[in-house]
Amino acid sequence: MAGLLECHALSKNFDAVAAVVDVNLEVTEGSVHSIIGPNGAGKTTFFNLISGEVPPTAGRVYFKGRDITGLPSHRIPHVGIARCFQRTNIFPKLTVFENVWVAMFSLSNSGALDFIKRVSDFGEIGDKTREIISELGLEEKLTERAETLSHGQQRALEVAIALAGAPTLILLDEPTQGLAPEATQQMTQLIQRLAGRYTILLIEHKMHVVMAISHWISVMHFGQIIAEGGPDEIRQNEAVQKAYLGGRR
Amino acid sequence: MSFLILSQILNGFATGMLYALVGVGLTLVLGVLNLPNFAHGTLFAFGAYFTYTVANLTDSFYLGVLIGPLLVVLIGFVIESQGVRRLYAAHHDYQLLFLFAVALILQETVILIWGPVGFSLLPPKFLAGAVDLGFTVYPKYRLALILFTATIVVALYLMLTRTNVGAILRAGIENREMVKVLGIDINKVFLFTFGLGAYLAGLAGGLATPIWGLTPTMGFDILPISFVIVVVAGLGSILGAIAAGILIGLAQSLTTIWWPEAANVVIYLIMGLTIILRPQGLFGSR
Amino acid sequence: MRDRNIFLIVLAFVVIGPFVQPKVIITEMLIFGIVAVANNIMIGYTGMLSFGQAMFFGIGAYVAGLLLKAGMPLIVALPVGTLFVLVLSIAVGYFCVQRTGLYFICITFAFNQMFYFIAYSWTGLTGGEDGLPGIPRPSLLLDPVAFYVFVAVVFLACLVAMKRIVDSPLGLICQTIRENPSRAAAVGYNVKLYKLTAFTIASTFTGLAGTVYAMLYGIVPIDQIHWLKSGDFIFMTLLGGTGNFFGPILGAVGYIWMSETFSLYWARWPLIMGIVFVVVVVYLRGGIVELIGKVYGSIQRAREAP
Repeated sequence: MAGLLECHALSKNFDAVAAVVDVNLEVTEGSVHSIIGPNGAGKTTFFNLISGEVPPTAGRVYFKGRDITGLPSHRIPHVGIARCFQRTNIFPKLTVFENVWVAMFSLSNSGALDFIKRVSDFGEIGDKTREIISELGLEEKLTERAETLSHGQQRALEVAIALAGAPTLILLDEPTQGLAPEATQQMTQLIQRLAGRYTILLIEHKMHVVMAISHWISVMHFGQIIAEGGPDEIRQNEAVQKAYLGGRR
Repeated sequence: MSFLILSQILNGFATGMLYALVGVGLTLVLGVLNLPNFAHGTLFAFGAYFTYTVANLTDSFYLGVLIGPLLVVLIGFVIESQGVRRLYAAHHDYQLLFLFAVALILQETVILIWGPVGFSLLPPKFLAGAVDLGFTVYPKYRLALILFTATIVVALYLMLTRTNVGAILRAGIENREMVKVLGIDINKVFLFTFGLGAYLAGLAGGLATPIWGLTPTMGFDILPISFVIVVVAGLGSILGAIAAGILIGLAQSLTTIWWPEAANVVIYLIMGLTIILRPQGLFGSR
Repeated sequence: MRDRNIFLIVLAFVVIGPFVQPKVIITEMLIFGIVAVANNIMIGYTGMLSFGQAMFFGIGAYVAGLLLKAGMPLIVALPVGTLFVLVLSIAVGYFCVQRTGLYFICITFAFNQMFYFIAYSWTGLTGGEDGLPGIPRPSLLLDPVAFYVFVAVVFLACLVAMKRIVDSPLGLICQTIRENPSRAAAVGYNVKLYKLTAFTIASTFTGLAGTVYAMLYGIVPIDQIHWLKSGDFIFMTLLGGTGNFFGPILGAVGYIWMSETFSLYWARWPLIMGIVFVVVVVYLRGGIVELIGKVYGSIQRAREAP
């Protein structure tokens, strides 16, 4: 059975540096699929290859059976993939409402006439925006500028923006990065709530998070996939331990 | 006819070398400080006017060309340390607009000090007159100009590629953050670069006086050309600025033979072609 | 302050202005008010600093001027002039938006100069250095009051149109591009296309203002297409305040007032403008709007003090 997302022999060279090497990956629909690996393993670059930020040197990417290799980044949300970034990437001076609204508008079926209306005229989009903001617990900050939010709230807003497009697949790049234990807990629970409704491809460093929520884990090292399997398999995999810990244990 | 073409080629070279000096100065500031220096043209003008004044006071063109540009460096230091540096925290565009406002102020200051009427300056006696090159008789000064600016350009190139200072500058163009991380005082680097850019502009202005004379608007007139040079060269490319400067100088002088009115427009045609065919510039990367 | 109230203040200014100052001055303020607000669509909303808007202003003026001189009625000259600028701005804008930041500034600057030199050299068409003289006003607008009313109507109509545009989704999308272009793309917007749209809208309104300007003095001086004019436009926008839709109007008013006043006393008045510009850039980046806010704030605090 074909996966929702399939990568075949995906590679990226930056001049002399081979950042991603011959990666074959399949993501099953409805699953939470984590990618782990030491720093510099090429995980974010790999995401960039899928989401169109960076064109691959070789290989192909298929989504829902369709070849999306090299699609420019602004077309990616329209095929049903949403991306969250490693460094918080929101619109600082826009309000929380506007941050999410604008993402939702992008993927609504808007015609030229819609550009003559005022933003406040769009009742349905406005309602759905408020729903998502509530779901992520940000309704108190609806009319606040995004830059006034705490780090954890900004991470949540990041996810809200991704959800606004009603994606099928969500790429989450280190969603708990920089978060204190309590906020990490909340983010983990959020991802668990999203699982099932959405397919999630996740880059994470915090092992307890990865082990708790993943159905499937791929391990990257020096741009290659060195191991794949369920949480238990990976926990005991020697190659993985070596990559992370340098052969101890 | 071929005499005409050949002497125009020489003219184009002379002009081109001056353009190259100006262009390199602008490129350095653009590359290291990430700033299109809108005051660059007026620094060129001040170089010319200072050279003129010193040359008249001392009766020596050489002293004029020696001291004039150094005075321009002082202006450059003041602009950078008192104005540009204060705006580092603000959005990038504000530094740019500050330089534009400074250009307005400097432009008016030229007229305040030297009056609204232009001047002319004769080349030094040794370089006055013409020399017989066989295919044409050519002004000595222009020949000397070509040789002299070529020397400066080579010296500059050697400085950039062979010295530590040069390495720091080139590193600054590539990656400013890295330079800071390496423990180098970035403020000193910026000040030095801005001063060097000012020096090159001022020097070009001083050297240009026997050929182009002095007019109060000469600063604003050369600014667009220097921007075209930078666009055609590719942002941050020193070699590109030299090549582009010469190219544009040649294009201008050759066009003058057949279609004088178009001599100025041809500069922008070259720029337009560059943007369409090779948007990163002739020597730019990406 | 609510938009509607600000609109009323603007309306009051338009109505009362000509009684306080010579009509010509207020007319210039309105014309350049359009330019400054349009410029802000690029600078304040989309984060694009163009150093070339004078080319569109000048070309709009030249085209309308030539058509009027050829005997065309107003109803042809102004729309055709504006349409010409619209098409041109799409072509020029297409190349300019390929690059961002510094490169964008350099390219707009250089394009501006290119058109300046075309205007300078093509003396048969544009009058070259001396400008394009002898532009007739349609008989309907010969009366100075009638002309003023016409300009006021155009000004207000442009203001309403541009306000509608920035309040629409387009306005918000432009702001996302200013805030975070890569994220804007990542949520699905073709950033270059929207930049081009903002560029075209701003430039077209600027060209429209130019077509009206042609009739003001009956001449199009060549300095209206010079890059220094582009700098002036930026100054006006910044002076008023880029954070507010109406702010740039204050900037245009302030700029015209200052230049008219200072030029009476000193031939070197651009020096003072330069100094004012420096002050704004270093200390008052939010422009007059920021100043008003600060003054208002201190009045509030003074009131609340025991």
